[in-house]
Amino acid sequence: MADMMGEIRDLNLTYLMLAQQMIREDKSAAVYRLGVSQQLAEILSDLTPAQVLKMAGSNVLLCRLRFDDKLILGLLSTHGKDHAMPQSHAAILMAQQPVEELA
Amino acid sequence: MKNKSVVSEGKQIQLAIELINLGARLQVLESETGLSRERLLKLYKEVKGESPSKGMLPFSADWFLSWQPNIHSSLFVDIYHYLIEHTELRGIEALIKAYRLYLEHVHANSLEPILTLTRAWTLVRFLGSLLQTVPCKRCGGHFIVHRLELNSNYVCGLCRPPSRAGKTKKHATELTQAALAA
Repeated sequence: MADMMGEIRDLNLTYLMLAQQMIREDKSAAVYRLGVSQQLAEILSDLTPAQVLKMAGSNVLLCRLRFDDKLILGLLSTHGKDHAMPQSHAAILMAQQPVEELA
Repeated sequence: MKNKSVVSEGKQIQLAIELINLGARLQVLESETGLSRERLLKLYKEVKGESPSKGMLPFSADWFLSWQPNIHSSLFVDIYHYLIEHTELRGIEALIKAYRLYLEHVHANSLEPILTLTRAWTLVRFLGSLLQTVPCKRCGGHFIVHRLELNSNYVCGLCRPPSRAGKTKKHATELTQAALAA
């Protein structure tokens, strides 16, 4: 259990730091890649290292699966020689999903 | 004179270089920057080391409707709309960013980038006049269709691929021979 907590913290930390890096390098592309609103992106990028560490130390994961729609999950997990079309289909569907934003 | 400021001209040149590197035709550059045709020609040769291709742009709206081009174009337009809705990018900047993200998807999945920048630019101009996007009744994804057709029961080419989609000529010949033998 202690191991899992450590791994959750590591993943949270990696996620938050990667998100910050993406947002600082190219905010608009990050809004697309992360699937978050611009406002949320700005808040994430402004977090101080101390705040990032504090957030990462949670016992729950801070990033969530974006393919909660059954169809998208099915598309992404399709294997076969023609895997690119399901990937394109999934990308088209993801572009329609609402962004994560502040309530 | 459209460009009085040196800074603004610098920005126009930067934009033109970016577009040239992405494969834009001269007509796109003329329309999106305030630079003269002569300057653009010179710039094009400097950047690419060759003269731009001459002739008309691909004008057909039908290209965007055939199976594979439709999937690529729809993905590009969906990214473009996402950026317009969720970021501050507008106009040519949104188009360039959406095109880069489209190219990224294409490379990540080892596909051919069959939608060129010039086609993507043409597509955005066609939206609202000749073409529009509608949601597929089955999957809900948005796809490009003719604006004047009835699309209330539209099912996309991925939910209902045409029987010939992805089939090679060889495959078709084999099928015909099998049918004849039966």
